[in-house]
Amino acid sequence: MEVLDVLGAFMPQLLLVLFALALPALDYLFKDKRVLAFATLAPLVGYALALVSWTVGGYWEPPTDGVSPHLIEIDMFSGLFALAFVSVGIIVVLSSPEFIRGERNQGEYYALILLAVTGMTVVAMSTDLIILFVGLEIAGIASFALSGFSKGEKRSAEAATKYFIVGGFSSALTLFAISLFYGVAGTTEIAALGPEMSAMLSAVDGTRSVAVMATVMLIAGLGFKIAAVPFHMWAPDVYEGAPTPISGLLAAASKKMGVAALFKIFLIGIIATKSDWDVALGAMAILTMTVGNVIAVVQTNIKRMLAYSSIAQAGYILIVLPIGTDYAVAGGLFHVVTHAFMKSGAFMVVAALVVRGVGESIDDYRGLAKRSPLLALAMTLFLLSLAGIPPLAGFASKFVLFSSAVDAALVPGQSWLIWLAVAGVLNSALSLYYYARVIKRMYMEKGSDDKVSVPRMAGTAILFASVMTVLLGVYFDAVFDLCQQAAAALFGT
Amino acid sequence: MLENVPVLSLTILLPLVGALVTFTLGKRESMAKWVALAFSAAAFLLSLAVAFEFVVDPYSAAPGELDGYSNGYQFYESHVWIESLGINYIVGVDGISLPLFVLTTLLCMLSIIFSWDTDHRPKEYFGLMLILEVGVLGVFVALDYFMFYVFWEIVLIPMYLMIGIWGGPNKDYAAIKFFIYTHIASLAMLIAIMAMYFEAGLRTFSIEAIAEVSVDFSSGLQLAIFAAMFFGFGVKLPMVPFHTWLPDAHVEAPTAGSVLLAGLLLKMGGYGLIRVAIPSLPSGAEDMVFVMAAIAVASILYGAILCLAQADLKKMVAYSSISHMGFVLLGYATLGELGVVAGVFQMFAHGLVTAVLFMMCGVVQHKCGTRMIPLLGGLASRMPVAATLMTVGFLASLGLPGLVSFAAEFMVFAAMFFKWGMWIFLPITAVAVTAAYYLWALQRSMFGPMTNRIETSHVRDVDWYEGVPVAVLIVLIAVFGVFPALVFSRIGPAVEIALRAFGGG
Repeated sequence: MEVLDVLGAFMPQLLLVLFALALPALDYLFKDKRVLAFATLAPLVGYALALVSWTVGGYWEPPTDGVSPHLIEIDMFSGLFALAFVSVGIIVVLSSPEFIRGERNQGEYYALILLAVTGMTVVAMSTDLIILFVGLEIAGIASFALSGFSKGEKRSAEAATKYFIVGGFSSALTLFAISLFYGVAGTTEIAALGPEMSAMLSAVDGTRSVAVMATVMLIAGLGFKIAAVPFHMWAPDVYEGAPTPISGLLAAASKKMGVAALFKIFLIGIIATKSDWDVALGAMAILTMTVGNVIAVVQTNIKRMLAYSSIAQAGYILIVLPIGTDYAVAGGLFHVVTHAFMKSGAFMVVAALVVRGVGESIDDYRGLAKRSPLLALAMTLFLLSLAGIPPLAGFASKFVLFSSAVDAALVPGQSWLIWLAVAGVLNSALSLYYYARVIKRMYMEKGSDDKVSVPRMAGTAILFASVMTVLLGVYFDAVFDLCQQAAAALFGT
Repeated sequence: MLENVPVLSLTILLPLVGALVTFTLGKRESMAKWVALAFSAAAFLLSLAVAFEFVVDPYSAAPGELDGYSNGYQFYESHVWIESLGINYIVGVDGISLPLFVLTTLLCMLSIIFSWDTDHRPKEYFGLMLILEVGVLGVFVALDYFMFYVFWEIVLIPMYLMIGIWGGPNKDYAAIKFFIYTHIASLAMLIAIMAMYFEAGLRTFSIEAIAEVSVDFSSGLQLAIFAAMFFGFGVKLPMVPFHTWLPDAHVEAPTAGSVLLAGLLLKMGGYGLIRVAIPSLPSGAEDMVFVMAAIAVASILYGAILCLAQADLKKMVAYSSISHMGFVLLGYATLGELGVVAGVFQMFAHGLVTAVLFMMCGVVQHKCGTRMIPLLGGLASRMPVAATLMTVGFLASLGLPGLVSFAAEFMVFAAMFFKWGMWIFLPITAVAVTAAYYLWALQRSMFGPMTNRIETSHVRDVDWYEGVPVAVLIVLIAVFGVFPALVFSRIGPAVEIALRAFGGG
């Protein structure tokens, strides 16, 4: 019966995969390709509803017992991440039909999106390094193919190649780290890594270097996944070259998969060795947000600007690791959720405008407020939210995130953590400069007089994202409560 | 009459609804000003009702006599907002916030009337003004740190857009400088708020509740938090040397934007210091007394001297704001009841007076096409009403006895004399400088011979929508100049409460 139990726990993933397999066939059956989008939405929406009724409503409990060997854990932590991934999936799929109209292989396109989401949810559920790696690979390979979907375009092909090479490299590093962990601890179970790792790190002989190597390899491997500085160089090229809805998927969801993996390994697995890596990760967090924001300032292409902005956002989330309190984790999770909506929303506005023939250069956004008041308003909301201006979602989550650094810094001996908060708020102020520049283009400058209509399906996606961006800023009690439960679940308290 | 009515929330809500209506007017753009006026007038009437129902000295009233009264705040409302973080929706007014609350609704309404001829994107213009009103009103009544910060930041966006869309030639630079400069200051305040929240450990953002604990924080921590807050509020005030955003923003902003910026936004800084920073962190404030006093005196003197050098009428008025807001800080720095009351009253007075000054700058710009003092001259014969209004405004601003600023500045000097004795000769020299730059500017622009450097044949006198708001303000300047006790009597008891931690002030 064990097999059935495991299958039961994997039920949503199996469902997603089933639809993914069916989609290419549907592609042959239907002339109207929008059917494919709806066939993709069906399992995603179903999964989302199930997750909401469990996490928010508490109407049912997922099957958690009897899954053995202990490879996955379905708890509030994985549920919240899955909810974020699936929401981004829904937004991306909704925006796609108009964007890829007339392209070939649309069935595969949607199937790959489903597979990518599947992989991400597996990472969030995993309690074992091997399963975690499998999830990373499922999502990774699907994303490589998706970035190259615009086959006629040189940029897209370049993006896919680059992403594939870098992604393969980072997977290799991660796998190497996992094998070292196995060598050190004799197990791949994340929760069991701690004792052996700390014993080895305090050893004086050569074994210490193995443990150090494992940690460094892991930081590098997952650092590539979340595009943390100095492992970020691939991100802007890939985000720029990939089809815009896919850029949204990569920035708002794929990256968060890396965050889930980092949280799991660092905060469960090797939290015992925190004093060995907290300063390094703190420095990396500050470096990541600063480099991301500084380079974003000089971008002229909106997708590249958003790419650098998501590098910076990853830096904000990284501060959770050196802080390591459950309040910080709750803040990090909250930021994952809000970022999922505001960043994917921003990319979908870009996608909707591309569909209507508006370019990707920031200068193309001149006078947009006159041409399409609704899209300009939505973009303004997303950008201000990304900058952390109240009362929008990005402010609420940054507030918790940065305040967790202040909280931890008040503990004697940890006062250096205050610099994470200071760096965070200074970077937020800096980011305001380039976000405001886009708003300025849209509202204060004159552009062409042609009206831009809102594509219907993409408009629905953007509406959904903007409603969430406002709602999570004005009233976030329920969601933050979930984040706290998820953080508690992560620490097993 | 107002029992069980959430009148403060309604006052905040009205402009918000008005803004939404204004934005969604569609093609009926000419309706925008009427809608905005209706909603801002309704908000003004509500705030007047609050002012008249306000119990002057609630602290001596018997318990149970006052509805919606808590800890000295009246019209108190409290609802849970974000339970998991201890964030509440708490509003209330006391004698410190009441004058500023009424000032806000008044100035917003008058600014809307003053902008009656705006025809460039009127929907956005009037809508943004109402959003700005929501933010400022929220700041003055919020009693929860989170709420306070949210409203504080909401103010930035409409002002950024107002400068950026309806501003002068150099608006891009001024708008982004204003936005980022004041945003950085807010973030310093934000970190201070976070530190207070966690150190208090009460799991609530209630300003009152945290203040009860924060007075006992260690003096080092108090100093650190106070310094961060002082920076956050001081930039808004603005204080030398963090004042440079102000002249840029003012010169480029449209007239109504300048009125709201100087009349209300600067007050947010002064209000924050006395609502939050000083009562909550007494030891921090005491440690910083000399820094505050030095910066205040520097602002007063430096602002005044810079005024002498300005050729642009509006820039001169902008620098005069720096000088006059320095009095607020100087009053606070005495940390005594007299000085703090005077500081709060100075905010109220400056709000009335500076609105007149900026409106008159707008009139000159409008009618003559320039504000450069050397190009003007002898305008009084062309625009006698404008010249009269401007003269009264300038006299009020330089502290003529009988007008509102005199009472405030005199009390600041008195408070400083009691505390530091002869040092008052430093700020008092500014009074002479102030009189000099105002009278000199008045003489060169309005009186004296016609210069004929600009075409003056087409120059008309003020229009009704410009004259009426200024006239209303001038009446108020005179009324409160003769009867300052109308406001003092309300500020006094509240300040006494605010300074409890200083051992009776």
